[in-house]
Amino acid sequence: MALATEEKAKEKKGSQSELAKGEQRLAYWLLVPTLVILLAIAFYPLGSVFYSSFTNDTFASEVETDFVGFQNYSDLLSITFAELPQELDDSGQPVIDPDTGEPEYLSPVQVLPRQPRAYREVFTFGLFGNQYVLGATDADFVLSIIDTLIFTVTTIILEVIIGLGIALVLNVPFRGRGSMRAAMLVPWAILTAVSSRIWEWMFIDTRAGLFNIVFQNLGLTDGQTAFLANESFQLPAAIIIDVWKTTPFMALLLLAGLALIPSELYEAADVDGASKWNQFTSITLPLLRPTLAVALVFRTLDALRVFDLFQIVFAQSKYSMASFAYYELIDSQRLGYSSAASVVIFLLITIFAVVYIRSLGIGEDD
Amino acid sequence: MTEATDVTAPPEEIYDASDSLVVRKRKRKERWGRVGFWALIVLIAIFLLFPFYWAINSSLKTEPQLRMTPGTFIPRDPSTGGIDITFQNYEAVFQNDAFIRAVINSTIVAVTVTVIALVIGAFAGFALGKLRFRGKRASLYLILSMTMFPQVAVLTGLYAVILNFGIPAIPSMILSYMLFTLPFTVWVLTSFFQQLPMDLLQSAQVDGATPFQSFRMILLPLTAPALVTTGLLAFIAAVNEYLFALTFTTIEPDARTIPVAIALFTGQVARQEPFGEIMAAAVLVTIPLVILVLIFQKRIIGGLTAGAVKG
Repeated sequence: MALATEEKAKEKKGSQSELAKGEQRLAYWLLVPTLVILLAIAFYPLGSVFYSSFTNDTFASEVETDFVGFQNYSDLLSITFAELPQELDDSGQPVIDPDTGEPEYLSPVQVLPRQPRAYREVFTFGLFGNQYVLGATDADFVLSIIDTLIFTVTTIILEVIIGLGIALVLNVPFRGRGSMRAAMLVPWAILTAVSSRIWEWMFIDTRAGLFNIVFQNLGLTDGQTAFLANESFQLPAAIIIDVWKTTPFMALLLLAGLALIPSELYEAADVDGASKWNQFTSITLPLLRPTLAVALVFRTLDALRVFDLFQIVFAQSKYSMASFAYYELIDSQRLGYSSAASVVIFLLITIFAVVYIRSLGIGEDD
Repeated sequence: MTEATDVTAPPEEIYDASDSLVVRKRKRKERWGRVGFWALIVLIAIFLLFPFYWAINSSLKTEPQLRMTPGTFIPRDPSTGGIDITFQNYEAVFQNDAFIRAVINSTIVAVTVTVIALVIGAFAGFALGKLRFRGKRASLYLILSMTMFPQVAVLTGLYAVILNFGIPAIPSMILSYMLFTLPFTVWVLTSFFQQLPMDLLQSAQVDGATPFQSFRMILLPLTAPALVTTGLLAFIAAVNEYLFALTFTTIEPDARTIPVAIALFTGQVARQEPFGEIMAAAVLVTIPLVILVLIFQKRIIGGLTAGAVKG
């Protein structure tokens, strides 16, 4: 019934609908190559990654592949918190470190469960005078998630602050502004692998490296700091490298956003006697919000999947989520396990994207 | 700081009444403001360019010069302290077959990826930007969401396919790079096609041109600038790619691209990492990219912001 009326309506339109049909058919043909390629390289492999994440598949192995359910996921993500009890001597008194005067605690290995699965220490922390340990069945992966999240949040905050600062400075007309804009494209144009190697050399652990020269001249260190091998300097170093590489991009985006703000608004604010700070918070920031929002989403999703920098600079001494999945695949040849890690990364990034896009209201005006 | 005054040319009224105390005070304040402003500019320039300068500096040093402590800000002779520049690292890089091969591989991969992504992306962009059909919104959202797709999520799946079918590394890279270049080109070209005026297209239709003819003869020439910009961005993204390149060339070292070659750079003799040569190679691959980017800088900024600001 409904179909018949539709038919009739089409007939009435006559050649008009023929044209529309032709247009529709052309559109589908033009979209076919894109969709076929994306199907082949994104959706099919994504499906197969999901599938193999439930198996114990490995490369170059004679062993039959078995379906293991959520085993990989539980191996990757099982964590436990435990309180570290104070170490007691034979008489039951707490042992005090003679050097620091602090009480000593049992080592995490003694506290964390070993049965049915062994938990390893991710990190220990003090809270309300007690010592706790976070243990995980795969400490490397859990730590890589934590590190990647810290890396992401810190780089994004620094990028926005520094990028906004640079954009505001370069938004003022001055002689040589063109060259400055050009200079801003240099870090962006340098390949990530290249910039990682350059910074690796600047962070080298002798006074041949720039940072050791500077830190020693400031009297802060002896000029032998192993920035890239020392656990406490690794993340800050990675953050500095990434901030250098991506801040100019952020600044360029924000500069374009600033150019969209009509100058009349500032003139009117000047007439009203509004201070520069007030103008910044009540004109610049609100009007820059859409640009900031888009830049934030793209940069966050980019930072969460960081790979090049971590793999090149730290190899296996510090993992990002992506470099962990890579080493599980290539070095350990554990296809199933690595797939499960990839799925976790994929879900995490998707959650970030959805929450971000919802809360920032991107695409609502569409 | 956002006021639109030209800081290099102080307002004229200052000179009109330079004897007034208020004006003199203001003048002084302005001068300090200007000094501070230029200090900021210099600071930003150093932040942006110094690491690359350090790479150039190091690439012009010999091994003993590199090991000097503290390192020098220009290449100096270890004993006399005079300026002493060497090009031996560059000579070594030019004689490094693995590196030369990587440059060729990268060129092949990136050029092919760019051409395919542009052609296919222009098809899809035209359909999404100018044609009316059912499922348009869904396709747009699908492609937009693909621009945020994490490559690592499909790494194991793609690698398994490549191993099973024995696909060589270079075609594997070309195909898999579509994952991040194609959604991007489709997205940017869709918005370019959308902005193009319809009347030209309509008058062509009145003259009896088929949709494909109007696409080829009217829209494509008009979008040439957009194609250049998008192509350049896709090209840089393809040259930059590291995760797939590293994984797919694990068992095929001859297919390594520039980022992999730089990351795994080894010198002529196996010893500690030859940072002089690495820096020379870094400078050599960066210069053409920077020149390319500077030539097209206006378009690149436009292209990046077209993708981002308009969303």
